[in-house]
Amino acid sequence: MDTDRARDGRPGRGMRFLRRTMAMAGKESLHVMRDPRTLYLALGMPVVLLVIFGFGVSFDMNDVPLAVVDQDQTPASRSLVASLGGGGEFEVVARPGDARGVDRLFRTREASAAVVIPAGMQAAWDRGERVPVQVLLDGSDGTSASNVLGTAVGAIQAESSRRLAERTLGQGGGGARPLSARVRLLFNPALRSAVFFVPGLIAYILYIVGVLLTALTVARENERGNLEQLFATPVGRVEVLLGKLLPYLAIGVVQALLVLAFGMVVFDVPLRGSVAVLGLGTMLFLFGALGQGLFISAITGSQQVATQAGALSSLLPGILLSGFVIPVETMPRVLQWIASLFPARYFVTILRGVMLKGNGLDVLWREFVALGIFSVVAMTVATMKFKRGGS
Amino acid sequence: MGEEATGGEAIVVEGLGRRFGSFDAVREVSFAVGRGEIFGYLGANGAGKSTTIRILCGLLAPTSGRARVAGIDVRSDPEGVKRRIGYMSQKFSLYPDLTVEENLDFFGGAYGLSGKALARRIDELIAEVGLGAQRRVQTRSLPGGWQQRAALAGALLHDPEILFLDEPTAGVDPASRREFLALVRRRVRRGVTVFLTTHYMDEAEYCGRVGLMVDGRLATLGTPAELKARHVPGAFFAVRAGRRAELLALLPGLDGVLAANPHGAGFRVRLDPARLSAEGLAARCREVDAGVEIEPAGSTLDDVFLQVVAGGRA
Repeated sequence: MDTDRARDGRPGRGMRFLRRTMAMAGKESLHVMRDPRTLYLALGMPVVLLVIFGFGVSFDMNDVPLAVVDQDQTPASRSLVASLGGGGEFEVVARPGDARGVDRLFRTREASAAVVIPAGMQAAWDRGERVPVQVLLDGSDGTSASNVLGTAVGAIQAESSRRLAERTLGQGGGGARPLSARVRLLFNPALRSAVFFVPGLIAYILYIVGVLLTALTVARENERGNLEQLFATPVGRVEVLLGKLLPYLAIGVVQALLVLAFGMVVFDVPLRGSVAVLGLGTMLFLFGALGQGLFISAITGSQQVATQAGALSSLLPGILLSGFVIPVETMPRVLQWIASLFPARYFVTILRGVMLKGNGLDVLWREFVALGIFSVVAMTVATMKFKRGGS
Repeated sequence: MGEEATGGEAIVVEGLGRRFGSFDAVREVSFAVGRGEIFGYLGANGAGKSTTIRILCGLLAPTSGRARVAGIDVRSDPEGVKRRIGYMSQKFSLYPDLTVEENLDFFGGAYGLSGKALARRIDELIAEVGLGAQRRVQTRSLPGGWQQRAALAGALLHDPEILFLDEPTAGVDPASRREFLALVRRRVRRGVTVFLTTHYMDEAEYCGRVGLMVDGRLATLGTPAELKARHVPGAFFAVRAGRRAELLALLPGLDGVLAANPHGAGFRVRLDPARLSAEGLAARCREVDAGVEIEPAGSTLDDVFLQVVAGGRA
């Protein structure tokens, strides 16, 4: 680039490089603007996904339909039922006479949890004996079931320890309990799903759209024979790739801002950390995702294969191996290794760290290094695989 | 760069070969194309035409032999070649979702042009190919012949010395083909060299010289007249007859008949004038079919093609 000056009216090398790259980028932007599918993928899909995940998918426990089989019918049993319904997590929807009625309620999905209080609970309690209370759950929805289980068992134990305290410390109640856990959830005190989801969603959307759009772009030109024509001009492969990258990088930034703004305004998701750190992470991640897309594009050659490879290599890691839905730490060792090959998991950590905890580079530097390595490797391999002319 | 071709040769090819795995797409091809010449490169599909053109355009490295285009070796400086040539590939290679103007703007940028110089160049070319009214139309909605003209404008943006056209008029109607070739010839008059592949033999008649590829080899080379004299000597006659079966039995056996091929309602017959005159042929034909009509017919490159391909396979 040392001959950047115009010589004999002919532009220097750096200038020509710039012109060719900008010509590619301008043309690529026109493709994006002319193609409704690309526009939808780029700007419509993030909003649709936000709405689905933000409103529809929720691990928040609200009004779980509860069936109560109270075979005791005493103040003690009523108190227990009241404590279950009191927190807003459960709503008592039915009171069948026996456990067989629960089975029918589960099948018709009128209830997804049930508590069976045995006859004589009050009497046994007063004698100081242990009383088994049965909790029945609809196990066909695993995630909900484990959440419901935790809540139900917690409520019953709380009631139980309250009783115990009353007995040992006299009828007065309100006395000091021997031990009590005071749980305070940091960063997301209300345990709202949106706070947890939106950062993951940013990673997910940027990942699939970034990989998919770029995977299609080279494959499309190859299929139509445009690439052959392009290679007959002095445009180099770095200029082609860079020119293709720039518009999609811009789209990625717009998407990130869109999802972020939507998340902050509609779902009240905090942004506690530095915007600059977030921006740096987003750029690094986008380079990686676009590099992955260009690589797929360069090795597949046809739009159909590129779409499938692009979707597969971004959708699955983006949703299952990123920590977006399932924490990576709870996965089997082998899956953890596979997850660490994809940039999404590092980006999710960065997003949650910056947005929810206000972390900076001092805490997140490992994730930034990992993203940097992935981006450099993906771009290098894509450029190498993107042969001029072919053979 | 800056290296001028010696003498008047725009393209010099020596012992050129390209092998794909164990398949020789092009073998031992040698020829030269003079400046300002229209060189026609003929052959069936898969005969090695496109492979040759891609090597000459710097898109594909040869596996043997040498080629110099505009004085530049294609193997050692393919990028230098690309700056000096214009190339139109077989497929329509403009972007269908971009307008004529946007396409030209993009390819201009690809050649490093910009600003007023490029804008002026685009205006000139759009006027030259006659697409003034279509400049803001997406190329996908142009008819085939117009698309080809737009693509030609794209290949001419940087004023190349040599124009490579790979089957530029495939699938285009005859009137549009003629218009397209007229545009190309106008460029040639301004000193541009044209290397053209085609399988339309009438198109090949326009070429100064013609090379015929058969199975990766250059089977024959010369002006259309030379090729006809060399491969299909003699006089051609169109024989129209009612009783084809009888004539089919008679004609090939006649002394002086070099070839008799079914053609339309009758035959194309090639005679050795020294052994059999037109009158002689007419007399013999009337013996089996009184209503026979015989007219002199010119030879075409189709005849050459059929003869050479049959000879190459024999």
